[in-house]
Amino acid sequence: MTTAGVWHPVALSASIEPGSSAGTHIDGKEFVVWRDNSGAPHVWEDRCPHRGMKLSFGFVRGDHIACLYHGWQYDTAGQCRYIPAHPELDVPGSIRVPVFQTVEAAGMIWVATEPTESAPPAPQEAGETVSVRSVFFGAAIDAVLAAIETTPSRPFSDEAAASVLRQIDGRLYALTVGNDRLLLGLHSLSGERTALHVVIAGPAARYAGKGQAHFLAWTAELRHRIETQPAAAVAA
Amino acid sequence: MAGIVLYNYELDENCYKVRLALSMLGLKWEPIAVNAFPGNEQTTPPFLAMNPLGTLPILKDGDLTLFGAEAILAHLARANDAAGKWLPAEGADFAGVMQWLVFSAGALAVAGEARRNSLFDTPGDGEALQASAGKLLRIMDDHMIARGYEGLDWFAAGHPTIADIALFPAFALSRDFGIDHDEYAGLRRWGRRVRSLPGFVTMPGIPDYY
Ligand code: FES
Repeated sequence: MTTAGVWHPVALSASIEPGSSAGTHIDGKEFVVWRDNSGAPHVWEDRCPHRGMKLSFGFVRGDHIACLYHGWQYDTAGQCRYIPAHPELDVPGSIRVPVFQTVEAAGMIWVATEPTESAPPAPQEAGETVSVRSVFFGAAIDAVLAAIETTPSRPFSDEAAASVLRQIDGRLYALTVGNDRLLLGLHSLSGERTALHVVIAGPAARYAGKGQAHFLAWTAELRHRIETQPAAAVAA
Repeated sequence: MAGIVLYNYELDENCYKVRLALSMLGLKWEPIAVNAFPGNEQTTPPFLAMNPLGTLPILKDGDLTLFGAEAILAHLARANDAAGKWLPAEGADFAGVMQWLVFSAGALAVAGEARRNSLFDTPGDGEALQASAGKLLRIMDDHMIARGYEGLDWFAAGHPTIADIALFPAFALSRDFGIDHDEYAGLRRWGRRVRSLPGFVTMPGIPDYY
């Protein structure tokens, strides 16, 4: 069973430091991605139950995320635990943020947007990874995949080699160039905006620094191509 | 007048650059509040006599009168930071600081325009200004992503410099002109480090939560 439509990559693991949060979208819906101080990632609806403000504007304190606006704090299960205006209040269990099953795989944070019980396992990819970056395009996933096929990366470890794009599972792809292998997470922000999360499958000893910079240059080329070519030409 | 005097408008991001630098350098200074909005006081003759461009900030330091936030930062750093950390004297660190100061005062000024258009309804095509500002933040983000590969946390040197101070407001205030921080992982990381510097201060539009 494919995991497409269930598991979505939302960020590089390295981009969400412990004690920090960021907002994102999946197919137009708003999510907050945050990591508590113990290092566990969380992906929730980006909406504070109090007045609906974005939780991604808030801040992490220990294993709570606090809303910027009136300071309501939520624990890692999404349950509101503290309301500054009523510090003595035992907060009712009904004040709760919708949370989604979240895992880390292939150097990325993945979220299941379907109910937890029916979700197939998340994409798997064993082995060490080295982050490159998340890059953003004003184009749908199909156009981005097409551009990846027509804008091959040069290998880092060899002179020249063909590049082969293959779907591993759902939104996880592998791009093999010579002896190098990139893992690509395709993230549909909306019908016309896509994030590509790029990591190198391989040891930091080999790729940290120059190898990362090498593939960063490829993401810039890809972005340039998508932004400067008419959509039809990219898809052709 | 002896000492440092800043002609200041609280909501002006260029004044904020100078307030940040004064605070991080631990200097004593006095503000003189300028009614920039709605008064446009900085474009009246007494101010034009100090800065013919009619902009803020203006700094007086003893006998010296200076305008332009980046020039003011350079002066404050050179005059007060004997170790030359905030404004390195030579080499690649000096060159990097110059490059990013010029970027800040030049191309990145469009972020200030986008913000003023959005907050104060100054003239301009809001959407075009926002798009241009977004592209410049992206250039900054690309740079900081690449710096991260070398284990470097700051724009121009292995430590914070006035380039980091000059660049911070455009990113930190980007929500004022409708640009979220979602797509700028390199700048989010850097922004958290700027916030943790001794003497860091906020301004309206930049939440104080650390
Ligand atoms: S909107 Fe979140 S605490 Fe009020």
